[in-house]
Amino acid sequence: MLFSSIPFLFYFLPLVLILYFIVPFRFKNAVFMLSSLFFYGWGEPKYLFFMLFSITQGYVFGLLIEKYKNKKRSKVFLTASILVSLLLLAYCKYADFFIENFNLVTGLSVPLLKIALPIGISFYTFQILSYAVDVYRGDVPAQRNYINLAAYIAMFPQLIAGPIVRYSDVAAQLEKRDITLVKISDGVKRFVVGLSKKILIANVLGELVSIFKATDNKTVLFYWMYAVAYMLHVYFDFSGYSDMAIGLGKIFGFDFLENFNYPYISASITEFWRRWHMSLGSWFRDYLYIPLGGNRVSKLRWFFNIFVVWMATGLWHGAAWNFVVWGLFFAVLLIAEKTFLLKIVSKIKGINHIYVLFLVMISFVIFDSTSLKEGFSSIGGLFGAGGIPLYNTETLYYLASFAVVLILGVIGSTPLPKKVYSCLNGKNAVSVILDVVEPIAVLVLLAICTAYLIDGSFNPFLYFRF
Amino acid sequence: MKKLRSSLIVILASILVFGFALGSLILPDKDVSDTERRPLKQFPKVSMQTVKDRTFMTDFESYSLDQFPLRDKFRGLKSFTALNVFGQKDTNDLFVSENHIFKIDYPISTDSALRAANIFSDINNRYLNDSNNVYLSIIPDKNYYLADKKGKLLLDYELLIKTLKEGCKFADYIDISDLLTLDDFYRTDSHWKQENIGKVADKLLESMNAQIVDSERVIVDTNKDFYGVYHGQLGLDLPPDNIKYVLDDSIFDAVVYNYESQKYEDVYDLEKLNGVDPYEMYLSGPVSLLTIENKTNVGAKELVVFRDSFTSSMAPLILKGYSKITLIDIRYLSSKTLDNYIDFEDKDVLFLYSSSVINNSETLK
Repeated sequence: MLFSSIPFLFYFLPLVLILYFIVPFRFKNAVFMLSSLFFYGWGEPKYLFFMLFSITQGYVFGLLIEKYKNKKRSKVFLTASILVSLLLLAYCKYADFFIENFNLVTGLSVPLLKIALPIGISFYTFQILSYAVDVYRGDVPAQRNYINLAAYIAMFPQLIAGPIVRYSDVAAQLEKRDITLVKISDGVKRFVVGLSKKILIANVLGELVSIFKATDNKTVLFYWMYAVAYMLHVYFDFSGYSDMAIGLGKIFGFDFLENFNYPYISASITEFWRRWHMSLGSWFRDYLYIPLGGNRVSKLRWFFNIFVVWMATGLWHGAAWNFVVWGLFFAVLLIAEKTFLLKIVSKIKGINHIYVLFLVMISFVIFDSTSLKEGFSSIGGLFGAGGIPLYNTETLYYLASFAVVLILGVIGSTPLPKKVYSCLNGKNAVSVILDVVEPIAVLVLLAICTAYLIDGSFNPFLYFRF
Repeated sequence: MKKLRSSLIVILASILVFGFALGSLILPDKDVSDTERRPLKQFPKVSMQTVKDRTFMTDFESYSLDQFPLRDKFRGLKSFTALNVFGQKDTNDLFVSENHIFKIDYPISTDSALRAANIFSDINNRYLNDSNNVYLSIIPDKNYYLADKKGKLLLDYELLIKTLKEGCKFADYIDISDLLTLDDFYRTDSHWKQENIGKVADKLLESMNAQIVDSERVIVDTNKDFYGVYHGQLGLDLPPDNIKYVLDDSIFDAVVYNYESQKYEDVYDLEKLNGVDPYEMYLSGPVSLLTIENKTNVGAKELVVFRDSFTSSMAPLILKGYSKITLIDIRYLSSKTLDNYIDFEDKDVLFLYSSSVINNSETLK
């Protein structure tokens, strides 16, 4: 089920809210778990088995790891839990990728397994992995209540597209959490903002991307419009989903960590990755980069560590070579920045932002490609490769048609709207007006989003495939 | 004050979400959308199988969209937001200009025009000979008559015609494009107004050397509001059109035979004015095979028209030049089996199509 769908907004959510708020606190996690499983089962009934198996193995191995703490067997159980999680992920997500490449190298014709990727498996697998490692490290006690652990792993607000919530961040909240009017209101506001980012900006720019891909009359200007639109589309799609997840979490009394912090204002690629998909970046840092030795090793080994982490990041996003190249593209840039590039770029104010935006845009062109050839062809198109015209009537039509949304997207990806809001909210006279205007704005946005949903059809989230 | 604002946010959002949730549950389901002219999805069948293969879920999603309370109002809100707030040039390929609703038919598909030409050639080769006079005419989309064409995505009408003409050298082309203006089309629909196309009918008759028995055309106003197909698709609250029909002696005495219903029918079915698409009042709407006999010009030649919906309102106007007109819609009837129904010997043949059908000819069989 999608957040941006009528069944979620007008059937599932109201029913779950009623159930959740009428039961006593001790049953809230059970309601949360059952509704999360229903939410997951709605999308993929047959993959409920994978989900329940993953929860159960995480629960059992967590208890065993803790029981044999500081003993050799603890490590064995940790290894077993990691292997089970990774093998399941590898089987579902990467098996056909490896078979395809194996066939390509050997010339054999091993048949593909053609497994449909269970939704959200990359997210919940990483949550279970972090849980097992954290219990092993003694950072958190093992969860003895199966329902609580299941509620954490299957938690529907962030189940299918993150952010990757670590057990340590919500362990205490599973036992006790504050549900207040102000928190619910903040949650509603955040959810509606996320829904609007997804439906009114990301989806509309997604239309422009689709139009670009379908046309035979491509121009240099259209390639640039596509690249910028796709860059904004990815940001608003994914950060919008994270906003909805955080907002829903608040409504149910949870506090999830932020996942985005205006990445497009970064002055370096290093900073970009501190602001983009922060839950994934910190996960790889804590559970892969640092265990590999991080930067406290020889320079060569350090570079190797960076390559491993970014290849894994690329592969996490999808089982295809363009994702691997996308990850390695950032590995090269980060190594260059760490060794010399950052010193040069940071000296020229203004240029550093252009440098980041340009390279991130190029990275997303690669990210969006169905093959490496298509990716390089699109990059060539940005510079007029193939003798394409600079612009034509069709390009100008769509530029004019999507100009407002593009401008809104650019402004919305900076902290400017938030700063303006905070500034206005800080003034007593305006704050009084906002007491009325803000609730109306939330209502209007929700109504407009509903209108777009009714007008549109099936509307999958971009990050589903990860 | 924070508490007041928080309370208002929660209350207003709850009213919308819980209100429409309740509305969805208790309001009776509708069978048909009048504005979109299509059946609406009904509550899907629940079984182990439909849940297991997810058909229940996908059908329920369609059902929840189709049966949402105030659905048409929400669709209008979307169109309004896209066109007036976000300044988009079109929404779902529809745009409003010069008080008309237009649909973008872009880009030109010369492949489609060639496909149409091949089908027409095949008909010519299969059924026609020297005894037939063959004509071709294309009705431009109303986009063609936009006064302000600047910055709009418009079909390359000239190239479409050129491509079709080159593929149909067996037919004499009758150019009607300069006879029409935007006022000759409904504001909320794609079709032309019958009361305005007498001049086009006269040009066709003259070009085909028809033996006309003249009689005065009288325009009858149905006094019915007509919301065209574009109106429903757009969802905006725009004023309706007015639907009229034309009578002359030949139409008054005409005998219409519908091969689908195997019944004699009226030229104008006024009952259809109350149906989903009032434009279907002209010759009962989409029918694959139909004949109209003219009792006032019995000795004249016969005409066979390969047509789309535009001809439904045109055919009565050209009836006065022929003893009988056969209307064939090869979107619903295969062009390969026409000799089972029609004898083409000595008949005039007219291919009369809108540019939209030629540019999207995959519908032609």
